Amino acid sequence: MTISRDQIAGLVFLVFSLAYGYYATDIALLPGEEFEPINARSMPYVLSALGSVLSFFFVLASWRSAATLKPLNLQQLAWKPVLALLVVMVIYGLILDWIGFVVSTALFLIAGFRIMGERRPKILFGVSIPFVGVSWFCLTQLLDIYLAPGRLFSLLGG
Amino acid sequence: MLDGILTGLSTATMPINLFMVFIGCFVGTFIGMLPGLGPISAIALMIPITYGLDPASGIILMAGVYYGAIFGGSTSSILINAPGCSGTVVTAFDGYPLAQQGHAGKALALAAYASFTGGTVSAIFLLVAAPALASVSLSFQSADYFALMVLGLSAVAAFSGKGNILKALLMTVLGLMISTIGTDRSSGVDRFTFGRMDLVDGISFLLLAMATFALAEALMSILKPDENAEADEDAMSNLGSMKLTKEEVKEVAPVIARSSVLGFFVGVLPGAGATIAAFLAYGFERNLAKAKEKLKFGMGSLKGLAAPEAANNAASSGSFVPLLTLGIPGSGTTAIMLGALISYGIQPGPRLFLDNPEVFWSVIISMYVGNIVLLILNLPLIPYISRLLAVPRQILVPMILLFSITGVYLVSFNSADIQIMVIITVLAIIFRLLDFPLAPLLLGFILGGMLEDNLRRALLISDGSYSFVWERPITLTIFSITAFVLVAPIASGMWKRYRQKTLGYGASMQE
Repeated sequence: MTISRDQIAGLVFLVFSLAYGYYATDIALLPGEEFEPINARSMPYVLSALGSVLSFFFVLASWRSAATLKPLNLQQLAWKPVLALLVVMVIYGLILDWIGFVVSTALFLIAGFRIMGERRPKILFGVSIPFVGVSWFCLTQLLDIYLAPGRLFSLLGG
Repeated sequence: MLDGILTGLSTATMPINLFMVFIGCFVGTFIGMLPGLGPISAIALMIPITYGLDPASGIILMAGVYYGAIFGGSTSSILINAPGCSGTVVTAFDGYPLAQQGHAGKALALAAYASFTGGTVSAIFLLVAAPALASVSLSFQSADYFALMVLGLSAVAAFSGKGNILKALLMTVLGLMISTIGTDRSSGVDRFTFGRMDLVDGISFLLLAMATFALAEALMSILKPDENAEADEDAMSNLGSMKLTKEEVKEVAPVIARSSVLGFFVGVLPGAGATIAAFLAYGFERNLAKAKEKLKFGMGSLKGLAAPEAANNAASSGSFVPLLTLGIPGSGTTAIMLGALISYGIQPGPRLFLDNPEVFWSVIISMYVGNIVLLILNLPLIPYISRLLAVPRQILVPMILLFSITGVYLVSFNSADIQIMVIITVLAIIFRLLDFPLAPLLLGFILGGMLEDNLRRALLISDGSYSFVWERPITLTIFSITAFVLVAPIASGMWKRYRQKTLGYGASMQE
């Protein structure tokens, strides 16, 4: 017997709903709140039950439709650039506080263009650096948004 | 009411707001034309910009983006058979064949005229219907609101599930679950924060909208590249004449009028929206057409292009009725607008009409202005906007990612938000690959808090008893409709299977 991807998704939902319900018991209640008609735990309990029942039925229903499901061709998808872009986004989030908005954004754009297949340095730098300059001007000078300088520079500068 | 209209008129015609409509339509058209990016992404990308504006200008900008995105979606449907959003799928049925026959310009012009008429007709209806509904809804109580929200959630799930209502319902529940993360609004205790300070305020609506729509859609466009994207650049530059003959105008005028009215009423229904309106109008006109013309549908019929275009624009305006009068969004797009309004500190609903008449009316008036802008500015600009699409994807995609990320970061200044966004984006991409619709998730997330508040209030009023469900006629009626909306698709599916079985059985008996 093979399990279709819909059934896996349904089972994951089922487990998630049950875990959600389990963690709902951890929610602190104020003294006497348990006697209220509705308290901080009520909604999570209802949602957990609803999610479990729905995902149970979904698993059952996908049993029948499993034969008609179109196979998902994972090899045809362009995974590499997407994963690379996601990694670059994570790194951007990590370095943003340290080296500041201007430098990290320029690096993000250059990395992004490069991942998407742009190799000409003229474009890599010629688009990203002026773009960051213009956005810096708009944000700080026109919209009056304070952009903190990178923590690294403040450390180095004293 | 006249007072309100005049206030709205003066707000909407302020130079800054006219400028907003123009910018909104232009940017919306551009984003809407990018295959894969729809109105929800377009609006999500604009939200951070609107935070710096006052609420009326902000919502006017977003309404402009909404129209622009739908218009842009029609453009890419017609020119390259790649609908930017689901509402314009039907447009491609007859629009693309027309473009292939060398009448791209004519098809675009007709689409613009039909959209304009649809938008105008429904803006006038909105002018009449919204205040009337708002005054009725003043008598609504928490129980009725609770029922309405349950109806809204169920209806969106029922219509957006692409045939799989269970998937959509699961996503709605997931959205409601995400909305419980953070501090409980009534008792002030933490829920599902796991001791992390970043989660005490809950997950921000902007973050969720950006991650599930803008980021995920941009990345999906790389993941599943369009095979025919390159050949289409040629189609963008050769549009042909944009003029319609007198006979053609005579032929399509009644079609546009009928479809506009139909579209508005479909749009008002929660959950239905532009896509269903466009399909209904197309089917309706096909049935009405003479046998000879019926054959033309799908091969480049002008009627088949005009009907869905008028209907989807009319429905887009219609979907503002429940948003502005009841505070309940009927679609993913209006859900995003609701989230934005709440973050401005404005609670849409019957009180909006009384408390912020300038917002209420200026939105309605600016819809009309938006339609005019689309017609007289965007139509002639289409050849130039479509040239903007020639900006290579390798530049465009990182830019969209950057706008999404910094849009969230520049509001919260919390770099942990970027990591949360990446996680949600990955999940959203998996959901998309598995055909789980994301609009119900967003709607569940936005309505979750209000749903709980209204349930709590309804229970307090009825002294902890659930009798409010059947004691108030309005509440009971709304719940009955909800039950119907949920049961009908399941029952019709079962009926179909049953008939197939019996038919198959009958056929085998005959053999």
